[in-house]
Amino acid sequence: MHRKTETPALSEPLSLRQRLIFALLTPLIAILALSSFFDYRLAQKTANQAHDQSLADTVFDLEGHIRRKNSSLPIDLTEEAEAMLRSSTPDMIYFAVINAAGVIVAGDADLPRQPLSKSEKIEFWDGKYRGKAVRIASHYLEAGAQVFQVLVMETTEKRKQASKRILAAMILPNLAVVLATLLAVVLGVRKGLLPLQKVEEDIAARSASDLHEIELAGTPAEIRPMLRRLNELFSLLRESVAIQQRFIADAAHQLRTPLAGLQTQLDLATVEGAFASNQQRHQLIDEATTRIGHLLTQLLAYARTETSSPGKVQFEPVALERLVENSASVFLDAALAKNIDLGFEILPAETSGLPWMIQEALSNLIDNAIRYTPTNGVITVRSGKFGKQAFIEVEDSGPGIPPEHLADVFKRFYRIPGSPGNGCGLGLAIVHEIAELHGAKVELSTPENGGLCVRLLFS
Amino acid sequence: MRILIVEDDLLMAQGLKQGLQQLGYTVDVAGSAEEAGVCVQGESFDIALIDLALPKADGLHFIRHLRASGSHLPALILTASDSMDDTVRGLDAGADDYMTKPYRLPEVAARIRALIRRSHALADACLRHDALALDTRTRTASLNGVALELTNREWAILEMLLMASPAVVSKDKLVQALAGWEKDITPNAIEVHVSRLRQKLAPGAIAIRTIRGIGYRIDAPQN
Repeated sequence: MHRKTETPALSEPLSLRQRLIFALLTPLIAILALSSFFDYRLAQKTANQAHDQSLADTVFDLEGHIRRKNSSLPIDLTEEAEAMLRSSTPDMIYFAVINAAGVIVAGDADLPRQPLSKSEKIEFWDGKYRGKAVRIASHYLEAGAQVFQVLVMETTEKRKQASKRILAAMILPNLAVVLATLLAVVLGVRKGLLPLQKVEEDIAARSASDLHEIELAGTPAEIRPMLRRLNELFSLLRESVAIQQRFIADAAHQLRTPLAGLQTQLDLATVEGAFASNQQRHQLIDEATTRIGHLLTQLLAYARTETSSPGKVQFEPVALERLVENSASVFLDAALAKNIDLGFEILPAETSGLPWMIQEALSNLIDNAIRYTPTNGVITVRSGKFGKQAFIEVEDSGPGIPPEHLADVFKRFYRIPGSPGNGCGLGLAIVHEIAELHGAKVELSTPENGGLCVRLLFS
Repeated sequence: MRILIVEDDLLMAQGLKQGLQQLGYTVDVAGSAEEAGVCVQGESFDIALIDLALPKADGLHFIRHLRASGSHLPALILTASDSMDDTVRGLDAGADDYMTKPYRLPEVAARIRALIRRSHALADACLRHDALALDTRTRTASLNGVALELTNREWAILEMLLMASPAVVSKDKLVQALAGWEKDITPNAIEVHVSRLRQKLAPGAIAIRTIRGIGYRIDAPQN
């Protein structure tokens, strides 16, 4: 608001809704105003004609009197007749009968003269008399041998009142029509623009990695070309994300074969006694190659979870307890090698998702636990439900995560400084990525006896 | 024992060959699926180690060809890709097991031993595990060459554990498998049978390991 008043040049352009409302309302109101004006004119004309007719009746009444008196001039009207002629409350009626010589033979002497046409019809004008607006009726009359001009004037009080009534009777409904139209236009525009809002919500609800196409069905034809362009853009983005991820996957993939060759040669050299004089050197090389291998595996896993997210993924029912059970065989030997007691507490837990991805997340959690739990430790893997929410969790008796590092552990390649083992800092990042894709939460907590518990809570 | 390695990467193939030769195997290397096809026609092998990414026809193609020709030669896939799709396709094509690169020689040797053992067990209907032997045709068991008396339930449990070794067998699976003999066998009853089995197997140094919360497993054989 402030910005608008301070720098009008930068004011926002009109919204589509405002444009539509302005574009519809301006002609609508103009049309209403014009039609009101012409209606009013027509109604007034009709009312005037009725009043003119009654004025004409007065003229004829007067002429009736003149004919009866015939040539006895000057014409004298009885008081009754005059009262009758003049009575037209709330208006005043004035009249004059003028003979051929231009002398007023009856009526109000100061009546302004009017031109006379010898028409059969009564003629009407608007005029002024004694400072008041009047309607003037003039008629050419032949009575016996004489000709007269009969003038009758009426003040316009009745007409004014009628005009006011007509105006009031017309303005109220017209105003109502204007208001109803206004409402209809505003509501109609809002309703008409509803599909736009839906599209907007669809796009706003996306996460950064969600690049699936906007569903065109049900969208208005007018915005479809724009949506198609957007979808094209989405698909271009998807492609470029996929190309990047594929590059990572390919690179990791391509590195694996020579690494396997290197490790085999290392094993052979060891058997042949190449490191007989320096066992520690062998151990360091061995650790380094193992670490590279782990990193490549994690990179591939990360690339796979990332590439799975852009499109819309098809979730299926997943029995988490099965995944937990499967991981027992996979990790038992690694745990035994460190004399770690790897145990399970398995309760049924059904959710929906991508089984291989959840398995990947679980594997990373168990792998991490085995890596960071010291020899003779305890690791327990659980599945179950909290109310309606299925979960899997891995609890270990390792060193845990110091509070100051909690915020960073989900970042790629983040390793807690000084932590043991040959991890690469991708494990929790992968778990986090997979959780996000499933709308699940990753919760870190410290068990009663220390260590770390990582829980994947599905919604 | 004779091993066929189907691998186009020379460093990889030579390393594996030398390593396996040191373990006492006879090793032949084929650089392509076509070459491997020729090898298996003329010679007899105990196992084939197959890389999936080969020039021209890939490893899957070779495995399908092998199975189509009626061969039961154990096939171990060595792949640089660990995507679920690839492994499933490999197993569907008729491979017996797969390993993901990078792998270590001792692991490969262990898998080779397990596969050869399994194929021999299928061939002579005899499950062998170090000092233990289960003849599934005569339903007789022996430990250190001495006959071993087993009840029906103990036999069923031991057979399942040996077939699965070194994978873990859940108590639920054992309960299901034993329901044929005894309607309402409980997990507790399984524990009783397992503990009796442990006593009987003790002289052969064969351990049935308890996996807390899941079930049991017999470790991979020593040799």
